Amino acid sequence: MAYEEQAIPTVTTAAPAAAPLRRAKWWSGVLKFIRKKPLGAIGFAIVGVLIFATLGTPKLSFGAPSLPDRPLGFELGRPWLQRYSPDATFKLNSRAQIFEGVSSEHWLGTDKAGRDVWSRVINGARRSLFVGIWALILATIIGATIGIVSGYFGGLLDTVVQRLMDALQSFPPLIALILLVSINPLTTSPNLLVIAFALGFVGIPSVQRIVRAVVLATREQQYVEAARTIGASDLRTMRYYILPNIMASIIIVFSTGLGVAILAESTLGFIAPDKLPVGPSWGVMLNEAQPVIVDHPLPGLASCIAIAAAVLGFNLAGDALRDVLDPRLRLT
Amino acid sequence: MQQYIIRRVLLNFLVIFLVATMVFLALRIDTTNVVRNASGACLGGAINTQNGAQTCLSITKAQLGLNHSLPVQYWDYLKKLAVGDLGRSFKSQNPVMGEIRQRVAPTIELGLLEIIVAVIVALPIGIISAIRQDTWVDYILRFVSIAFLGIPIFVIALVTIIVTSRFAGGTALPDWFGPHQTYYSLASDPYQNLKIMFAPAIIGGLGTGAVIMRFLRSQMLEVLRQDYVRTAWSKGLRERVVISRHALKNALIPVLTLIGILLGSIVSANIVLETIYTIPGIGNYVVFAVAQNPDFPVIQGIVIVVATTLVFINLLVDVAYGWLDPRIRYS
Repeated sequence: MAYEEQAIPTVTTAAPAAAPLRRAKWWSGVLKFIRKKPLGAIGFAIVGVLIFATLGTPKLSFGAPSLPDRPLGFELGRPWLQRYSPDATFKLNSRAQIFEGVSSEHWLGTDKAGRDVWSRVINGARRSLFVGIWALILATIIGATIGIVSGYFGGLLDTVVQRLMDALQSFPPLIALILLVSINPLTTSPNLLVIAFALGFVGIPSVQRIVRAVVLATREQQYVEAARTIGASDLRTMRYYILPNIMASIIIVFSTGLGVAILAESTLGFIAPDKLPVGPSWGVMLNEAQPVIVDHPLPGLASCIAIAAAVLGFNLAGDALRDVLDPRLRLT
Repeated sequence: MQQYIIRRVLLNFLVIFLVATMVFLALRIDTTNVVRNASGACLGGAINTQNGAQTCLSITKAQLGLNHSLPVQYWDYLKKLAVGDLGRSFKSQNPVMGEIRQRVAPTIELGLLEIIVAVIVALPIGIISAIRQDTWVDYILRFVSIAFLGIPIFVIALVTIIVTSRFAGGTALPDWFGPHQTYYSLASDPYQNLKIMFAPAIIGGLGTGAVIMRFLRSQMLEVLRQDYVRTAWSKGLRERVVISRHALKNALIPVLTLIGILLGSIVSANIVLETIYTIPGIGNYVVFAVAQNPDFPVIQGIVIVVATTLVFINLLVDVAYGWLDPRIRYS
């Protein structure tokens, strides 16, 4: 079974003679992927929708009744670099009521302050993705560096680093996270980048563990030995011989970690909303909706579905990517 | 073996020491807010005079034991830790050890119930999914398990609360699946306690069960490919005997270690469920301790206790693994 799965993503290996048919080949590759890995395809679809949603310009006022004028409920353009609009300053529209039901003006109704739930869910996607990507960038860069160095040199250094990672990992992760974001002396007010880096910091040991395990196996390969024999320095061996060969594993760690980071961000928002900067975040929305969730389930349900879909989507996509790129990692 | 255990125990103490040091240092990065918040009552009276406010702050600082230099505080902290004294809570002034002991019962109860539910669900499903590999039964079971793995536990809990209260209003369901206002301990009122624990145990158990099921499935697939299973088949043994005696027994060993590891992390796994269902356990307590005004001794205490249980359960798991599977030799 594993052999078939490995062969799936080879879309570009079409024979040169079939060059005019390349477009058809490309489609057949995608179709084959969907047929072989239907769950992975669903995951990638969800991730695609999420990324598309982040391309929308955030509404400055979430009471926005002009919303449905846009075909998607948000305006495309001026994406990611724009500042996150603080919804503390939203203007309550005269027509917007609190806990309004579904209507053509508010596709998912309004929340306890009369803010449009749909636009908040859409903006929450931006926040989740922003935090998730920054967290994983930090976690993968630092975790992989430590993992490569400790796995490559081994010995006393490895033992010391492993004990340190053990210690970091035996912290209850959620407690460590709340602790990190609540005692940051860097910012006086909560900052999204600090949240992301705290998340990434908590994730370092798990990245390090996986990378180290892969490096331990790669280190014994003959080409590494050959590189050492012709006099390559340690740094050069790690950079040009080991790193390229464990890149697949690092990509997998990154993509599967995104789901975990998004989940952690919304859990943090749900447990300790005051630690997060103001703004539309799925976890915070859920926290606000929870006390009244029995009487007004719509805002809570919307953020529930958004969180579940995002986490599930990234998990499925990450799993499929792992099966395709490196089946060895399946059990780790 | 003995040597291995001794070395691991020593390493565990090193890890606990590192954890204790890290949590101590992390908390001491910024103490001004804690002191200011703790001296709120005193400040209220003396807010107008600059001098009064200063004395207020320094008095509180001394009360909290934060007036000494960092090395002095650290040494004091380690000395107390060595004899199992975790200090007194900033908020309630009670010894942290006692506070944790009070709250540990609901957490352990919930954790054990979850594991029981998880095992009851995961065992048959994992086995069926493995022996019917790549049939529609397998696909459905795997999809459900992936859904439970992927969808966050608090989302499942909240959706359950919504659904049971909206669509089963008149029945007994909301009572069993909704959060409760008052908590009854197992000793005082077992029936009420079961009612409170029911929903979180089922929901958390299904989440944990999905992890166990996936692992059991992959282990079963591995074992079913072994020669001795083929021999058992060719001897003409019945399917039930092959599966339960030859395959399952061997597939279960790694699964048992997984269950052990899951047991070690029940505190951190249950923080969210305890918050939603208002169960006064460790998770609820630590959120309360970290939230507005960090309660240093409580946070330190809980982190150390959790880390200690985690590393020692891991050690137990490893030892048990070697005992159950004699092929494994530790050196």
